[in-house]
Amino acid sequence: MSKKVKVNIKRQDSPDSGSYWQSFELPVEDGMNVTTILLRIAATPTTVEGEKVAPVAYDACCLEEVCGACSMRINGKVRQACSALVHNLLDEQPEITLEPMTKFPRVRDLLVDRRRLFEGLKRVKAWVPVDGYGERGKPDRMSQPDQEESYPLSRCMSCGCCMEACPQYNDKDDFVGPHAISQAILFNTIPAGKPLEDERLDALAAAGGIAACGNAQNCVKVCPKDIPLTTSIAKAGRATTFHTIKRFLTR
Amino acid sequence: MAEKDVIVVGGGLAGLACAMNLAADGTHVHLVSLVPVKRSHSVCAQGGINAVNDVTRAQGDSEHLHLDDTVYGGDFLQHQPPVKEMCDRAPGIIDLMDRLGVTFNRTPEGFRDQRRFGGTLFKRTAFAGATTGQQLIYALDEQARRWEAEGNITKYEYHDFLSPILNDNGVCRGAVIQDLFTMEIKAIPAGAVVLATGGNGLVFGRSTMSTICTGSASARAFRHGVRYANGEFMQVHPTAIPGTDKLRLMSESARGEGGRVWVPKTPQDPRDPKEIPAGERYYFLEERYPKYGNLVPRDIATREIFDVCVNQGLSVEQGRLCVYLDVTELPPTTQQKLDGILEIYEKFQGVNPRVVPMKIFPAIHYSMGGLWADYVKETKTGGLVENAPKNQMTNISGLYAIGEADYQYHGANRLGANSLLSCIFTGLFVAPCVASHVASSAEDIPLSLIDGAKKKETERHNAVAKMNGAENPRALHDELGDTMTRNVTVVRNNTALAETVAKVAELRERFKNVGSPDSGGWSNQSVTFVRALDDMITMAEVIAQGALMRDECRGAHFKPDFMIESPDADDPAALREQAVEWCKKFKAKNDKWLKSTIADYNGGDVQYSYEEVDTTLVPPRPRTYGLKGAEIIEEVWREQFSEKATAGAA
Amino acid sequence: MSSQSATSPQAAAAISPREKYYFLARRLHSITGLMFSGFVCFHLLVNATILASGESFEFCVEKIHILEHMGLLVPVEMATIFFPIAFHALFGIVILLTSQPNMTDYAYGGNIRYTLQRWSAVVILVFLVMHIWHMHWLGKPFGGAQFDPENATSTAASAMQSWALWAPIYALGVLATAFHLANGVWTALITWGVTIGPRSQKVSGYVCAALGAFLLVAGLGAVRGFMTYQIPADGEEAAVVEQANGDDH
Repeated sequence: MSKKVKVNIKRQDSPDSGSYWQSFELPVEDGMNVTTILLRIAATPTTVEGEKVAPVAYDACCLEEVCGACSMRINGKVRQACSALVHNLLDEQPEITLEPMTKFPRVRDLLVDRRRLFEGLKRVKAWVPVDGYGERGKPDRMSQPDQEESYPLSRCMSCGCCMEACPQYNDKDDFVGPHAISQAILFNTIPAGKPLEDERLDALAAAGGIAACGNAQNCVKVCPKDIPLTTSIAKAGRATTFHTIKRFLTR
Repeated sequence: MAEKDVIVVGGGLAGLACAMNLAADGTHVHLVSLVPVKRSHSVCAQGGINAVNDVTRAQGDSEHLHLDDTVYGGDFLQHQPPVKEMCDRAPGIIDLMDRLGVTFNRTPEGFRDQRRFGGTLFKRTAFAGATTGQQLIYALDEQARRWEAEGNITKYEYHDFLSPILNDNGVCRGAVIQDLFTMEIKAIPAGAVVLATGGNGLVFGRSTMSTICTGSASARAFRHGVRYANGEFMQVHPTAIPGTDKLRLMSESARGEGGRVWVPKTPQDPRDPKEIPAGERYYFLEERYPKYGNLVPRDIATREIFDVCVNQGLSVEQGRLCVYLDVTELPPTTQQKLDGILEIYEKFQGVNPRVVPMKIFPAIHYSMGGLWADYVKETKTGGLVENAPKNQMTNISGLYAIGEADYQYHGANRLGANSLLSCIFTGLFVAPCVASHVASSAEDIPLSLIDGAKKKETERHNAVAKMNGAENPRALHDELGDTMTRNVTVVRNNTALAETVAKVAELRERFKNVGSPDSGGWSNQSVTFVRALDDMITMAEVIAQGALMRDECRGAHFKPDFMIESPDADDPAALREQAVEWCKKFKAKNDKWLKSTIADYNGGDVQYSYEEVDTTLVPPRPRTYGLKGAEIIEEVWREQFSEKATAGAA
Repeated sequence: MSSQSATSPQAAAAISPREKYYFLARRLHSITGLMFSGFVCFHLLVNATILASGESFEFCVEKIHILEHMGLLVPVEMATIFFPIAFHALFGIVILLTSQPNMTDYAYGGNIRYTLQRWSAVVILVFLVMHIWHMHWLGKPFGGAQFDPENATSTAASAMQSWALWAPIYALGVLATAFHLANGVWTALITWGVTIGPRSQKVSGYVCAALGAFLLVAGLGAVRGFMTYQIPADGEEAAVVEQANGDDH
């Protein structure tokens, strides 16, 4: 195949060093995606100028958009590298640009440290507080509508796209981010999660919780799993309102 | 208190189940994972998780039948006590996962919904949309996070397991790991190490497995003396979507929900598949296997696809194994249950599978084999002794293997939706066993041991980082994958396998001349890859050699040259005679080959031996799915051979 | 057992007063915004009466200033307008400082409105200071306060006509206000969890857009009304107006 694609990549050698751009050119393959580009570059890391360089460091795992590892800025927009197909990207612009996400500390090249994202899940206690893992008989039933409401939320893969695109998620604030709000709502919806409902709402009503949301609604637009994040956010808004009034009146 | 700590390597279903269960009982767990645990390969499991349930029980199902289906599907190549224990505990495991908040699909009345999977006639499989593995691992990830917040689990994400730390008596006393951000090498002392490090699909280049499934941890344990068993048994999934970077799984649930596999009767029919009338379609699985239809076990489905495409030339696309998987006729509510996987197809292929039949291909999917692990049989029940330190322990004391990384549960072929079960089961079950081992081995861990192990691995890392030969590691990996995929997948023959063994040996030599293209000090993924390549070559040696040596057909290991010819006489008496002959040959084959292949590293000179299989619960019988003359064979076997088998076992 | 401590009340009590205050402040910010929205609607509608006639505006202002004769105007103004808007503006600046707009990368409708909400806030803040100086008695010490409720129509009109740039400045102020108000009401409905699903948010979006458009028309109409108002030749002198104000307050 003769058609070639030029890929411009923003690189950085270590967390403290500066960033720089390098360009690579490679033949387009049928059904090629961005992770394939990075794989091919890793095999022969030569820039368009013919300079041999170190392969580009990046994060990837499942390559089928269920693990959330390969989030990066592609043509200026955050998305999963595995499901970003070259022929679609070339419809957007003639060359492909790859940059690391900007809201997380950079480690190297396209690789970032998303620990803050998981800390958010701790803040909202996104888990079921079971007594133990032994047998406890039959669990409660769950209605079909409840399952259909919670299942989409449970598909969140913590990829960080919603946070990268959120104008309120940054170094200036400790916003927990849309994904954590949505997970808190998930666990407050399913019967098993109810025992921690109040604690989750306390967390959402704290600084960096739901109040930090500015309703830009980028989260729901960039979410690769089409999770109704803004619905969760509005639900959290309502729940925290009632929760705060209840807390005030019952103390 | 380091000697009371436990290191769990791998944060998939097995690793997380083990870590949370240990942590809940107060053990401090070091959880080591190549990726954030939530991103482990378990997320890729789509279809569901098997357990006997109230609905199937009412139809006559039982834990024993689940055991029977599992060992029959696995061609009897698994010790039955652990499988029995797993099947007995399966219903409780589903209940637990439900309690942990997994959003299983529901019936209108609010019970868990079930679907049917391959290799069984019962609807045993609970599921959460078409992303069951993802939902299950998230529930466990959340529990691990809870214990991390409590201080009982310390996570080491983006860390590579380099080696176990063995003391002078050969007992495992910790592990050496490497931070993949800073590249710092750390040695952690511990009372036990649990390897839950998954399969090794990347040995075949592209497979349905994630980029991390290189088998490197298993290979490193193997080189430190852990035996590796049944390496040659690799499951080829019949339905995957090809891609330039990986082969994406199209779950068996597509067929479980009524999806049908077919090819046009005209070779490479150029028409739009929607326009091919039903009469000109060959629904080969349904025609050949009226009982199971599209839900035959995976090895059978894969071989039939191979037969239809290669032997009959009916492949949809010339030159590759390609058939249609058709869900277009399913009602929209059923299609909805498959949204998760249909979206993947649509996203990566750009075609809507709700309207156009999917083009699918077989792909390497699961390692049935793995690190050898022990079990302690409870003689009364036939299951396992609870809390016994030896359960799931490898031949190195204090070093355990669970999940896909061990060899115990799936024999020669795994049934769909049994993998999630075996992973969670082994993780939960092993925890108290590990804890009792740790409690009984309280001696101090000398600092010199820890420092020595760390120094050794640091030297190894530095040596790899300095490799500057002419061989490109990625190109070597491509060559390895091509050879393995061509010769060691669906159909195997000894000439090609011997070539493969030679080729792998050549790659082993050429590996010495590899150049690592990166001298960076941070996140040097090239060095990590070169080390993993070394391990993949080791795994390839074990897989190819095991396959070469095993002269029979069993489960996923299919060698036509050693197939027992099916009875085909028209005359009933002659047919019966042929069936008796068949059974005799089958019995002789079983006497010779119903054994697990055991590879022993032995300082680089790998030794192969065979281990007897405990088949005391379900006596082995011919696996006759779709076999010509199946009925007569089964009849003859019942009359003349089965008593003998049971008598021998008792 | 540590699993029990995970559900203990201590965990809830661990939230500091500062953290609690932040949530309340954000909610207060929303409430004050809504209060001010009410005032703005009222204010712009009163102003728009100029389109009917000078007398009708005069009449409305007179009615409002009944409060003044009861000695309530200043307290009511302070409680329902000045303090709310001061809080809304000051805390708005705090919010503004935590924002990192990215409209160019993510040019989605919601994100554009988010960004415009912040820009319009700055425009309104500047405009409001000018407007208060220009018209309101608070501006008097700084040489402003050209509006006299006793001669409402003519003083307002003469104030508006006193400088060629007042008309575009007021038009811009009205535009920013109408947008900020309409979008603010839309987001408040989400913040308080009134509109939850995407469909209800879409519908409320149309309603708010209509409200904003209506206010914009009313506001711009008023600006035009005052600009084109023929100030009677025998209108009071500005000095007298100031004198009258001085007497009253």
